[in-house]
Amino acid sequence: MNQIVLIVVLPLLAAFLVPIVARMSETLGAALGPLVMGVCLWITGTVAIESAGNAFAINIGGFLPPLGITFFVDRLALLFAFLTALLVLLLWPFQGEHRPREHALTLILAAASGGLALSGDLFNIYVFYELVSVASFGLVATGNRSAAPAVRYLILSGFGSVLALVGIALVYTQTGTLNLAHLSQLAPTQLINPIGLAAFALILLGVGVKAELFPVNTWVPEVYATAPNRVSALLAGLVSKLAALVILRLLVLVFAQEQALLVMLLLGLLGVITGELAAWRAQDMNRMLAYSSIGQLGMVFVAFSIPGETGVFAGLAIALHHLVVKPALFLLAARWGGALSGLAGAARGSLSGALLFTLFALSLVGVPPLPGFWAKLLLVMGLAEQVGPLYHFALAGILIATVVEANYLFRIVATLFRRDNPASPAPEKHSGSDIATAGIFGAGLIAAVLLLIPLSQSLKTIAQQTSDADAYRAVVTLVPTPTAPNWRPAAISGDTP
Amino acid sequence: MRNLASLLFAAGLGFLLMVFGLQFDFGNAPMLVGQAIQSAAPDQVGAANIVTSVVLGYRGIDTLGELAILFAASTAVGLILGNRHTSTKQDPDSGVILRAGGELLMPLLLVVGLYIILHGHLTPGGGFQGGVILAAAFFIPVLARPSTHLKHTGMSLIEGFSGAAFILIGLAALYSGGEFLQPLLDKGVIGNLLSAGTLPLLYLAVGLKVGAELAGLLAHLAAAETSES
Amino acid sequence: MNLPSLDVSLDLILYTGAFGLIVIGAAGIVLARHLFRVILALAIAEAGANLLLVLSGYRWDAIAPILMGSESTAPMVDPVPQAMVLTAIVIGVGVQALAVGLAMQVKKTYGTLDMSAIRQRLEADIAGNAGIATTGSQDAPLGERPLPPVDAVPATPGSSTP
Repeated sequence: MNQIVLIVVLPLLAAFLVPIVARMSETLGAALGPLVMGVCLWITGTVAIESAGNAFAINIGGFLPPLGITFFVDRLALLFAFLTALLVLLLWPFQGEHRPREHALTLILAAASGGLALSGDLFNIYVFYELVSVASFGLVATGNRSAAPAVRYLILSGFGSVLALVGIALVYTQTGTLNLAHLSQLAPTQLINPIGLAAFALILLGVGVKAELFPVNTWVPEVYATAPNRVSALLAGLVSKLAALVILRLLVLVFAQEQALLVMLLLGLLGVITGELAAWRAQDMNRMLAYSSIGQLGMVFVAFSIPGETGVFAGLAIALHHLVVKPALFLLAARWGGALSGLAGAARGSLSGALLFTLFALSLVGVPPLPGFWAKLLLVMGLAEQVGPLYHFALAGILIATVVEANYLFRIVATLFRRDNPASPAPEKHSGSDIATAGIFGAGLIAAVLLLIPLSQSLKTIAQQTSDADAYRAVVTLVPTPTAPNWRPAAISGDTP
Repeated sequence: MRNLASLLFAAGLGFLLMVFGLQFDFGNAPMLVGQAIQSAAPDQVGAANIVTSVVLGYRGIDTLGELAILFAASTAVGLILGNRHTSTKQDPDSGVILRAGGELLMPLLLVVGLYIILHGHLTPGGGFQGGVILAAAFFIPVLARPSTHLKHTGMSLIEGFSGAAFILIGLAALYSGGEFLQPLLDKGVIGNLLSAGTLPLLYLAVGLKVGAELAGLLAHLAAAETSES
Repeated sequence: MNLPSLDVSLDLILYTGAFGLIVIGAAGIVLARHLFRVILALAIAEAGANLLLVLSGYRWDAIAPILMGSESTAPMVDPVPQAMVLTAIVIGVGVQALAVGLAMQVKKTYGTLDMSAIRQRLEADIAGNAGIATTGSQDAPLGERPLPPVDAVPATPGSSTP
């Protein structure tokens, strides 16, 4: 089963070779990327069948953990690896003038996303996270006038990486290891303390840049408003979820302390409130979707702050729902990117687009029986079970945010179907591929309604597996390391404060 | 007003970090993994330089990710600035000293760079350090004669094939029954030039890739600058 | 060697230096008005983080982790942080090069590298593309209303005067 490493390696290999292949044969160069992503999809599928849901670990280079780097493969990792390949394939930049380079960057994004889903080593996660960042800066900058947002995004993200690196250094100073399983073993004695909390806060802020976490999300509206819509779809749909996944893993395994949960709850709640209010106020489609995405990610963080399996279950449900809905909405916004008021009567031009938009909007708000409703229900019930005023405050905040969300989304739907001024020029029609891809997402959403019970059961199993830190430690077999944590000679150690 | 707020923010962050910084005992970092690697590395990897054992052996996939980051950065810069070959022959006379110095330095830097790459598993140095020197060797002539351009075709060929070589060496291990990037070949005697199995090959690939990548990046930036002025 | 107090103060100086660099970088990112200075500040902050990382594995009495011919028994410093710093430095190089490339492109589109001017142009640009009235005055006082976009995007009627 160690061929799962190919989902990281093959896209990288293809990315290195795409510029060369494209110079020899243009069609082969254009076909290489989608082909490799298809192979990744197939590999993930076979590994998922082979492993039958049991978690296993792969030691890169054959070095046993914690000396070497481990890839930890469980249901959640496989699910996200599969979704990565699928989404990249669906949102593949088939059009565009800079093809080979754009393809190379997209492949690198796919490889790094797969790495983020699989990696079980703190510093390795940092490397893949940076790889995702650099690839996404490049992809964002392919937009027409998106150099300025890209550079502002880069600076924020770069500073976030510095903070994350400081957090990693703190963890290493405390424990002397980077393997997540090993850290999880040492955490109760060495990381459940203020320094551990500081390290978590720093890493949270660093990784939170991609996850659109509250104070470090200023890049979101401007980047999504100027980047090509397929790139926005990838960033909002996939990359943000992977960053949230990394935070979830760290929270479950390493920083399982109450204060860490409270920090997440507060930041997530602030994200929900600010995001939804800003979306309500937004006057153009792209920025409205961007702010709404901040709100949705905030809900994911609120859910993850509920301790135990309930929180993981609710958080994953919201994250997966958003992963299906938001890329499709961004695709629909490709031609509807202008002012919201200019969309009056757009349903005349493109009825299928308007109907799809309505479907996604209904699900995003949480109208039963669409999946969005069940995801939100899980969150609300999980919050209601918790004791403590902050959780109930969060519950109220989320319900209010839902009302706000309903208000602005239904306003747009009403605008789309308005008939009063037939004189105004109808907005452009969607390109066929956009509508088709959005249709695939819509079909997925409806299939989720029909298969609700089996889906929720398998998601519950995933949540169970993910929230079980003991099982994680049992899978990764650690070689014993020297037990004396400090061998610094006494003569020199002095009296450090 | 905004500046004051920003200053306060920075001061607050500084205070926070200082408080954290002074809270705990810095000198006493435990060395669990480090110590285990020190005792295991000579047998498992066989490089005299243990940092190299970590970079290419224990944390080999980090290095691959890092190569990919450089590649992504250079690809993105190429994408943003484009291949603008400005044929404006406005070569500012850089003087005989600069030009002669550049010509003298280039072969010297090439030799030093290759030496550092090939001895990466024995002495301080390695693919990254040597690669940077190689990039400098190719870039210094461009600085001395601003009108000359690096050949992008050659650069991108080296870039692609050296990166692919790194991965293919790793895949060879995977398909000979091991794990990805498992050390292959005979480990030899620690301290010999031909030792540590595939490590020198990996470092050669890293060095060439880093050199080509950085030279390409600099060339892109320089070309964009000359086209602007 | 036999003056513990000196070692401790050196420890403190190094760590203060590392945190200081990060703080200087943070202050620069927030305060600097020129984009290139912001990029430099980012580089300074990265240097601080790298220094902190390499310090986490340093030992005063140890040698470099390289096996020399003679079997010396001196303890060696932790090789893992050194490898990590090598990785982090190269990552930093890549990110900075990309930042400079983007800055050149920004200079070409907006003709300026002043951070606040870039932000105003950007606001105006996004609003102009979407065809809505610029609402950039949210946090700028009356005298600092956003500038019009460089390539005058045809404004919708009613957006001429904010």
